[in-house]
Amino acid sequence: MAVLTPYTFIQCPCSDSSTLGRPSDPNSSTITEADEDERTFDPRAPRSNFSLYPLEYLLYCEDCHQIRCPRCVSEEIVTYYCPNCLFEVPSSNLKSEGNRCTRSCFQCPICIGPLAVTSIETRPDPSLLAAPDNTAAPHSGPYALTCSYCNWSSTEIGIQFEKPNSIHAQLAKLRNGGSTRLTAKERKERRKDPAYRRYQATSSGEGESDQTENLDLETQFANLKAFYQNQLADPNSADTGLAALGDLGFSSPTSLSRIMSIYTGGSLQDRKAKSRLGAMREALKPDEGLQFAHLDESAAIETLRGEGHDGTASITQLVDQPPNLGEEHLHGRSRFISELRPIPYLLRTKRSKRCPVCRHIISKPEAKVQTTRFRIRLVAGSYIPSIAIRPLSLSATAGGGGSSASGATLPGALLEPLKPAHFLLTFKNPIFETIKVTLGAPAETPGRFASKVTVLCPVFEVDANTDVWDEALREGGATGGAGSGGGGEKGERRRGRYDEGSQANNGNQLEVGKIWERGRNWVSIVVEVVPASLRLDQGDAPLREDEDVLEIPLFVHVEWEGEAGGDDVLESVAAKDKGGEAREKRELAYWCVLGLGRIRK
Amino acid sequence: MSAPVGSAPLPHRSVANIRSPPGAGHHHQSGSSTPLRPLPSSFGSPSSLRADEEIIIIEFGTRKLQVGFSGDPAPRGCVWFGPEQQRRAGDFRAWQTDYRQDWRAAAAGGLWGKDHELWQYDVRGSDLGLVGDKIERALREAFTKYLLIDSRPRRMVWVVPSSLPIPLLSAVLDSIFSRFQPPTISLLSSPLALAVGAGVRSALVVDLGWLETVVTSVYEYREIVTKRSIRGGRTLVEQTHKLLAKHLPQGQSEPSHSQDHVVSFEECSDITARMVWCKPRTASDTSRISNDGLATVQEQDEGESQAHTEHRRDGSVRIPLRSWLAPTTLELPFEALAEPCEDAFFDSQYSPASFDDHELPLHLLVYRTLLQLPVDVRAFCMSRIIFTGGCSNVLGLRGRIFDEVSHLVRERGWDPVQGKAVEQLRTNPKSRRRVPRQVASQGDESGSEEEDGIWHDAANTIPKVDTIDEQLRRGADEIPPVQGEMRAIESLGAWSGASLVTHLKASAVATIDRELWLQHGAAGASRAIDVDYRTQRQSLGAGGLIRGSVGHHTNWTLGIWGAL
Ligand SMILES: [Zn+2]
Ligand SMILES: [Zn+2]
Ligand SMILES: [Zn+2]
Ligand SMILES: [Zn+2]
Repeated sequence: MAVLTPYTFIQCPCSDSSTLGRPSDPNSSTITEADEDERTFDPRAPRSNFSLYPLEYLLYCEDCHQIRCPRCVSEEIVTYYCPNCLFEVPSSNLKSEGNRCTRSCFQCPICIGPLAVTSIETRPDPSLLAAPDNTAAPHSGPYALTCSYCNWSSTEIGIQFEKPNSIHAQLAKLRNGGSTRLTAKERKERRKDPAYRRYQATSSGEGESDQTENLDLETQFANLKAFYQNQLADPNSADTGLAALGDLGFSSPTSLSRIMSIYTGGSLQDRKAKSRLGAMREALKPDEGLQFAHLDESAAIETLRGEGHDGTASITQLVDQPPNLGEEHLHGRSRFISELRPIPYLLRTKRSKRCPVCRHIISKPEAKVQTTRFRIRLVAGSYIPSIAIRPLSLSATAGGGGSSASGATLPGALLEPLKPAHFLLTFKNPIFETIKVTLGAPAETPGRFASKVTVLCPVFEVDANTDVWDEALREGGATGGAGSGGGGEKGERRRGRYDEGSQANNGNQLEVGKIWERGRNWVSIVVEVVPASLRLDQGDAPLREDEDVLEIPLFVHVEWEGEAGGDDVLESVAAKDKGGEAREKRELAYWCVLGLGRIRK
Repeated sequence: MSAPVGSAPLPHRSVANIRSPPGAGHHHQSGSSTPLRPLPSSFGSPSSLRADEEIIIIEFGTRKLQVGFSGDPAPRGCVWFGPEQQRRAGDFRAWQTDYRQDWRAAAAGGLWGKDHELWQYDVRGSDLGLVGDKIERALREAFTKYLLIDSRPRRMVWVVPSSLPIPLLSAVLDSIFSRFQPPTISLLSSPLALAVGAGVRSALVVDLGWLETVVTSVYEYREIVTKRSIRGGRTLVEQTHKLLAKHLPQGQSEPSHSQDHVVSFEECSDITARMVWCKPRTASDTSRISNDGLATVQEQDEGESQAHTEHRRDGSVRIPLRSWLAPTTLELPFEALAEPCEDAFFDSQYSPASFDDHELPLHLLVYRTLLQLPVDVRAFCMSRIIFTGGCSNVLGLRGRIFDEVSHLVRERGWDPVQGKAVEQLRTNPKSRRRVPRQVASQGDESGSEEEDGIWHDAANTIPKVDTIDEQLRRGADEIPPVQGEMRAIESLGAWSGASLVTHLKASAVATIDRELWLQHGAAGASRAIDVDYRTQRQSLGAGGLIRGSVGHHTNWTLGIWGAL
């Protein structure tokens, strides 16, 4: 069993089930926030996995004062690029060339490692490389794509290349086994060629000589498209054809009543539609996209018998394969590793993110592909308190009221069922205002195994994340700390009265309503848990994965006063602070999940 | 095609005029000189679209989602549903080399493989919101990884199984409309899209799917009859598991009491996809189905070739197993790997009468669907059989079904007396409506829709074949359409068919406007759930989310969604 480090996940408020199905607008979300703490969030519910994020995944809109998760940002694309060659790809290419790198970047179909172009000739005779008069030798073809991880080579599927560059274009013309095919472009040009058209005319005049011609998928699609377009353009078919499909349904895009009436549509319409459809015929030959199915797969079965399991690709390998438009429908034959193709790298994007409500940019990467830096990135961690979890051993300070036998002391140690254990939650305030934190947790965890939870100090304030200089200026020598007078070195933690206070007050003993420890911009409080017993009765379903992890839902409500400004007057109560600036009360509320540890089975 | 202007097509048009409502058909008379009338299309007039507006086409299945742009020959990406997608963001355990999910725990309680499914068609007790979440995440992945698009709202066309129950469709619409804000979502049924993707107007679509096998006859772009059997990919994987368990060493493979599986779903489905195959039809099997000795003689050549292959090599196959108690390599005869297919799809040891309607062996399912069709429709459909779905990848299966059906046709012809439908008709007056019939009058249709949600509504009644139209059309064609002979054709697939339909600016079956959905959709959906709980297998009408009129949701009988 892997050691479990305590963790925290945060639920983005956008996934509140009551707002789903409705457009996301700020008004509705404030309404639901008020009711929020009345429901208990069950972190084990399957849906919860879709709305929980580690703090690092969350962004924050400074204008809406709201958390933004990957589900509630709107994205814009800054750059398209190939993750292998790092070349930028203009957006216009995407439509025409597709979503993969069209240079020479391929992944191994067996292990998805990067493939390299290597010369087939030089490999067996490395001594040639050394010869000075043979410098050109390594660059003479033919070439293959080879994988340095699993030693796969495109020669295994019968494919080799004449040139070491523009492999993508070469590969498009090669079928597995080495035979060539016409690409879509070449086929189009061939159609224009008068010689070919003459040939076509004569051959179709002879009748059905090419009735059984096998088309690759790309060609079949092109032929079908041309056939339908031809039919639709045919003056005889006027407004008939495929467009009449609409008559069978309903044609108004906006009328729900039309949608509803489909079945009551009666046959008058149908009759009309049918007669209109009559003028368009079906495809009759391969030229028009018609293909017969080849149902005799006995040869493939024999291959399977001969090759066995090793000759077939795994589901994972097949899933990684892009559709092979250069072949006809392979059906079951696509399983053979001899049918695998090198995988052109999928392009990637760099995206900037906006708040969907106020449209402000909350994340914007550098456009340059090579850098991973951001121009703007409002990470939630800079706005909402982080929560660190640490098991608390009480044996040293035991004796005070409320303390008990020590719980888990080592990180990752198993929690004993039915024995109280204590955890220290440290809330660190990242903002420059003091925050008031109110915590809510159900007394028992939801789910099959109810552990008891007590937050000893559910309401507390965490001081602002003022830097040392700021604090020194503001408080002068009032507290008389050594650090404040001298200005201190950079990075020195000024803990002043907090340290003294916390030591003096309770000597780190468990006491309801008392903070355990506090520092400049952090506060530690204690949570007591009594882990449930995981014993299963006869007939109970066995433990599911991670069901032995003690997770507690915690509702976090944060309040603070910020500088007034922005147009967000709704939830703010304007107030004047001592400096005379306009202050606004702000709040943020969300559920989070604390994973404390595994319970002993 | 432009030659016979004025001669043959004209009478045709006048016939059409008679049937068209006044005013709708006058343009027919003016012949070829009439410019194309702009057609109402679900995508609006082309001028209202930005030139670069991409319409996104999504094909939904139980196991996977295929996504791409209209006009492309194939989807740009495919996302499979699986347990990894259902983890929390930032939970990368599955990518750690030493991590092995405890599949036994995950499979407990009959959930073996369920986390690889987007939905179950029986929605009782299922979390519809979860379906919406899964779809949303899969779509986000598809958009980011494969389509490389930003989050501007885009029109969508969905290819949806015609058997999809309303609550599921509703949940998916809710999720997508609220999370991706497409201005409209148009729905196309997969059988229709498959027909378009094959270049035909009529077809018999045999969808060898995951949850079930569905046979749909499409005639003139309309779904006519649909029959389904619960024999599907899931059955096949279960049967493969049975086979593997049987060949594992005794004792150790004994499943514990709470454990009904000894190999993980992932491994078992992998082995199924790689190694399971289907035997050709054998004469000995048919002798059970038929009492006719002649049939056996006719099929002799096939029987011979079967014997031939069996004798050629009787090698065994070695299959590595990792998810069993201890990693091992299983050795079993190649022939044994054809057993799952027999049990899952044919059950040839039982007599046809012993099957319930919803678990028919596949060849009987196809045969009975054809049997139910009017003669003319059947003649067209049987010559345009399209095999599709994940199990069409089982080597030999398509050919086997085709041969079995051909044999049944040769043996029994189209005499419904031998068909079960007729037996039922005799014994059960309630099923009388299931017998195909010619539509007597239009009034007949609208009045009697409620009694039988599946078979008896306008969408499923058999349209009268218009013989005049038929003849005229045939006269105009260069080659008479093939009919009456068994023939299988190849479709590009439902996704590609939808891409063609959309690209050619033909309307989808149903188009749902976002604003309207957000206003009415929720109410309709909740109503739909009520209905669905009661009747379990009612499914969605062709985008007909609600039948009847707006604000008057009393009439809730629904036909098969997508039946044109
Ligand atoms: Zn969010
Ligand atoms: Zn590249
Ligand atoms: Zn490799
Ligand atoms: Zn905002």
